[in-house]
Amino acid sequence: MIVTRKRLSLDAKYSILGAILIAPTILVFCTIIVYPLIAAIYLSLFSIYTPTMEGQWVGFDNYAQLLASGEFWRSLLNNIIWTAGTLSLQLVFGILVALMLHQNMLFRSLARSLILFPYFLSTVVAVLIWRWMFNDLYGVLNHLLMWAGILDMPVDWLGSMPNAMVSLIFIGAWKYFPFVVIVVLARLQSIPESLYEAATMDGAGRFARFIDITLPQLKDVLIVIILLRTIWDFKEFDLIYLLTGGGPIISTQTLPLMVYREAFALNQMGNASAVAVLMMLIMLVFMTLYLRKTED
Amino acid sequence: MHSRIIQANLHLSKPSVTIGEHMFAKRTFAHSDREQSNYMSIESESPQPLDVHGGVTRRSVLQGAAALSASMLPFSVARASTTIRWWSTQSSPEQFAAYKYQIKTFEAAHPGVKVLFERTSDEGYPMQLAAAFAGGSMPNLITHLPSFAVANYWDAGLLLPFDDVIKAVGVDDFNSGANRIYQIDADTHSAATLGNTAANMLWVRSDLLEKAGIDRPPSTWDELRTACQKMHGRGIYGAALPYAKNSATTLIIIGFIHQAGGQILSADLDVAIDSDEAVNALEFYHSMREFCPVGATNYSWGEILSAFTSGATATSLYSGRVLINVNNQNPRIAEHVTCRTYPTIAPDVKPWTYNDFPSVFIPAGAGDLEITKKFAAWLYRSDGYIRQIHAAPGHVLPVLKSVTTSPQYRDNEIIRRYQPEIERMDSAARAGHNLGWETPLHKTNVKAGAIINSGILAEMVQRVVLNDEAPRAVLAKTAKRIEAIMKS
Amino acid sequence: MAMRKKGSHKILYSIFGWTVVLLISFPLLWMILTSLKPQSELFLIPPSLLPSEITFEHYVRLIHETPFLTYLKNSIILAVGTTVVVVVIATLGAHSLVRFSYPGRKSLAVLVLYTYLLPSVVLIIPLYLLMVKVGLSNTLVSLIIAYTTFALPFALWLLRSFMAAIPADLEAAAMIDGATRMQAFFDVILPQAIPGIISTALFTAILAWNEYLFAMVLINNDEVRPLTTGIMSMLVSSFNIEWSLLMAASVMMSVPLIIVFAFLQKYLTRGFGAGAIKG
Repeated sequence: MIVTRKRLSLDAKYSILGAILIAPTILVFCTIIVYPLIAAIYLSLFSIYTPTMEGQWVGFDNYAQLLASGEFWRSLLNNIIWTAGTLSLQLVFGILVALMLHQNMLFRSLARSLILFPYFLSTVVAVLIWRWMFNDLYGVLNHLLMWAGILDMPVDWLGSMPNAMVSLIFIGAWKYFPFVVIVVLARLQSIPESLYEAATMDGAGRFARFIDITLPQLKDVLIVIILLRTIWDFKEFDLIYLLTGGGPIISTQTLPLMVYREAFALNQMGNASAVAVLMMLIMLVFMTLYLRKTED
Repeated sequence: MHSRIIQANLHLSKPSVTIGEHMFAKRTFAHSDREQSNYMSIESESPQPLDVHGGVTRRSVLQGAAALSASMLPFSVARASTTIRWWSTQSSPEQFAAYKYQIKTFEAAHPGVKVLFERTSDEGYPMQLAAAFAGGSMPNLITHLPSFAVANYWDAGLLLPFDDVIKAVGVDDFNSGANRIYQIDADTHSAATLGNTAANMLWVRSDLLEKAGIDRPPSTWDELRTACQKMHGRGIYGAALPYAKNSATTLIIIGFIHQAGGQILSADLDVAIDSDEAVNALEFYHSMREFCPVGATNYSWGEILSAFTSGATATSLYSGRVLINVNNQNPRIAEHVTCRTYPTIAPDVKPWTYNDFPSVFIPAGAGDLEITKKFAAWLYRSDGYIRQIHAAPGHVLPVLKSVTTSPQYRDNEIIRRYQPEIERMDSAARAGHNLGWETPLHKTNVKAGAIINSGILAEMVQRVVLNDEAPRAVLAKTAKRIEAIMKS
Repeated sequence: MAMRKKGSHKILYSIFGWTVVLLISFPLLWMILTSLKPQSELFLIPPSLLPSEITFEHYVRLIHETPFLTYLKNSIILAVGTTVVVVVIATLGAHSLVRFSYPGRKSLAVLVLYTYLLPSVVLIIPLYLLMVKVGLSNTLVSLIIAYTTFALPFALWLLRSFMAAIPADLEAAAMIDGATRMQAFFDVILPQAIPGIISTALFTAILAWNEYLFAMVLINNDEVRPLTTGIMSMLVSSFNIEWSLLMAASVMMSVPLIIVFAFLQKYLTRGFGAGAIKG
C-alpha cells in the first residue's frame, strides 16, 4: 500500500516536471501565435481592404466564390504536383547524399558544410542566380549544354510548360534537400556500429545492410522529415513567385501565390485569408491521415 | 480586430489642433504613439478648418496647458529633438549618397531635427504601408511610389494634401503639368512628382541600323517590324520584349494598346479593352515574338535591359537606365545606342510614354507636419536635387525648370554625351501617362494598381502568344475580369 | 595491402564525393567569380567563367558605402538569439514529450504543429499589430520572438524524433545510480542528443538568417535591419539590379556561414559511433 502511494506521488511529481518542461513551448504559442491565427480566420469572413484593414461582413461568400472558381482547384492541383515532385527529389537526393557524406572522405567537414549552401542562400539571391544561369543569351547552363553538343538551341527553361514546373521542382529540390541531408546524417551517427558488424559477419552485402539496418533506423526520422517538408513545401511562396510568377498563364500558380495576390495585389485581405484557411484545412486533413497511418 | 479598425478610423478624423510651437516628449525610434503624434504637430500656417471659436477650443486650451507645463519641466528645457522618418523604394548606393547629402544639409540648417531614412522596396511597400497604417506607425514622408499607388491611398483617405509643399518649392518652377496627375481639384494635390521616367522608349543600335541600310530609327510599327527583321540574324536578335507572367509584360502591353490607338478604360473608366485597336496590338505583339530570344516568355525588366546592353539584341524597350548600364557594362557599344519614343501603329497615332511619375507624399497622421513639409520642399533644392538626378542620369529626369536649365545639371558625363536622347526622354516623360491616368481626358483610376498587380493583362498576352488563342475571345474574358476589379 | 587499398578507396571516394558537392554548390563558385569581375564582364556572350581581371572594388564599395556591416551584425544577433531560445525551449519540450506522461501529451505535439499550417502572408499584419501593442515593433527582439514561434514546432518535432531514438535504459541506469531526472537529463540524455540538437540549431539559425517577409514588415529602421531585407531593398528594384554588389554581398553572407558550419560538423558526429567507417 505504502509502496503504491509512494510510486503514485512520484509519477505525479514527474507529470508536473514534464508539464513544466513543455510549458515554455505552450507559453510561446498562446501568447504569440494564437492572436494572429484567430485574426486570420476571423478576417476570412469579411471583405477587407488591405491598406486600411477595414471592411464588412460577408460570411462564407469568400469561400463560396473561391470553391466555385476553377482557378482555386487548378492552383491546388499545381500545389500538389509541385509538393509531391520536389519532396520526392528532396528525399531521394537527401538520403543518397547523406549516405555519401557519412563515409570517410577528405575534408569531410568542409564538404558537409558546403552541401548546406543551397539551403542557407537567401531565396531571392538563389532565384536571381538561377535565372541568370538559365538565361538564353548569356546563361552558363545553355552554353555548357550547347558546347557539349547536347543542345543546339538554347532552351526556354522557365517560360513554357512542362519546363517551368520541372525546373521549379528541381530548383526547389536543390534548395531544400540539404535539410534532409543534415537530419539524416545526424541520425546516421547514432546507429550503433555493432549492428553493421553483426550483419557483415552474417554475410550481408552493402545493399542488404542498407535495407535491413539503415532504413528501419531512419524510418522514424524520415516520417518527421516528410511531415515537416510537406508542410513547408506546400506553403512555399518566394521561390515560385520569383521564378515564374505562376506562369505561363497559371500553370505553375500555387495557392500561396493566390494568397499573396489577393492580399497585396488586389488588396482583398478577406479573400486572402479565406484561401489561407482552405490551405490550412487541406494540410490538416493530410496531416491527420498521415499521422494516423504512421502511428501504427 | 474591430477595435483596431475603429481606432484607425478615429485617428484619421482627429483634427491636428495645437497651440504654440512647442514639441515635448522625445520621439525615439521609428514608431510614434498615436496619442503623442497629435500633440506633437506644430501649428500649421494654413487655417484650421475645425477651429470654430477662433482658435481657442477647450481641447486646444488643455493641450496648451499641457504644453506649457511640460515646457516648465526640466527635462524638456533642453533643445527638444524631432525625428522625421522618410521611406523610399529607391535606395541604390548612388541614390543613397545623394539622400545622405540632402539629409545632412537639412539637419545642419534645422538644428534639433533628425531625419531617418528607411528603405522599402517595390515589392515590400504594399505590405509595409498596410502594416504601418494599421499600427499607426506611418513614416512622415514617402517618396518614389508610382502614381497609381498614390491614387489608391488618397482615395482611402490616408494622405494629406501636398499643396503647401508645392507652393514652397514654387508652383511655377515645376514643369507645366508636372503635377497634373496628382491634382484632385483646383487647389488640392495628393502628392507631387519627384522626377520623371520615360520607361518605354525604343532603344536601337545605330550601328546595326546602318549595317542594315536603314537611315533612321523606326517610327511606325511596320517600320519597326521591317527593321527588326533586317537586323535579326547572325547571332543578333531583332528585339527584346517580355512575354512573361509579370508586371513588365503588363505595363508594356498597356503601352502597345495605346500605341495602336486603343485604351484599357475609357475616360469615364468603363472597360474599353475589347476593341479592334487592342486586337491589333496583341497581334503585332505576337508577331514580334519571332525576333525575341527564346527565353522571352520569362523575361522581366532586368532581362530586356541586359539583352540590349549585352549587345545581343538590336532593339529594346526601356528607360534611360540603358545609358548608365551600357557605359558600365558594355562600353564598346556605348557610342551606338540611341532612343526615341516607341513607334505607333500609324503616323496619326500619337506616341504614348509610360511614366509612373515617382511621387513624394505625406501620409495622414504621422505628426510633425510643419517640419515634414519643410523637408519635403528641401528635397527639391537644386544642390541636393541635382545629386539625386545624377545618381541615375537619364533614368530620373528633373521636373523643375530651374534645374533642367541649370549648368550644374548638365555637368554630368551621361547627360552631356547623350543630350538628344535625354531631351527626347524628357519631353516624352512630361507627356507621359500610365494606367492610373491613360490620357489627359481620363479620370483618375484608383484601381490601376490592383489591375496591374493582378496579372490579368500579362495573362492575356500569354494566352494569345503562347496558347495561340484568338485575341477577340481573350479580350472579352479580360474585359470581364477587369470589370470585376473595378467594381470590387 | 589492406591499408593501401583502403587509402586508394578513400581518394577515389573523395573525388566522387567532392564532384557531387561541387556540382551542387556550383552557384557559389559562380557568385564568387562574378563578384571579382568588373561590371563590364557581367553579361558577356558567350559567358566567361573566369574573370579577365580580378577586382575587389565591389567588396570595398559594399563595406564602405553601404550599411552592410550593420545589417550583418543584426543578422548574426537574430540568428544566434533565435537559435539559443528555440534550442533551449524545444529540447526541454521534446524531452518532456518523449519521457514523461501527463494528460494531453500526445495531442499537444500535434496541436503545436497544426498552428503552423497557415501561410505567413496572412499572419503578418496581425502579428505586427501585436508587436506594436506590446511596444516591440522595429526591434530585433520582435523578430526573435516571431522566428521562435515559427521554428519551435518544427524544432520540437525533430528533437522529439531524435530523443525517442535514445534508449530509455540510459536514463533509468543513471537514476539507479542516484541521479534525479533532471540530472539524468543533463548528464546522459543531452550528450546523446547532441547530433539532433546541432541539426536543429542549424536549421533554426538558417531560418532566422534567411527570413524575409517578417523582417520586411516588422523592421523599418536601418540600425536594426537584417541582411535579407537590407540587401534586397538596397540592391534589387524593378528597373535595376546592382548585380556586382549583390554577388559580393551574397558571397559575404555565405562564406562565413560555411566556415562556421564546417566547425559545427565536428559536433554533429560526436555521439556514439562517431566517425566509424561504414561498410
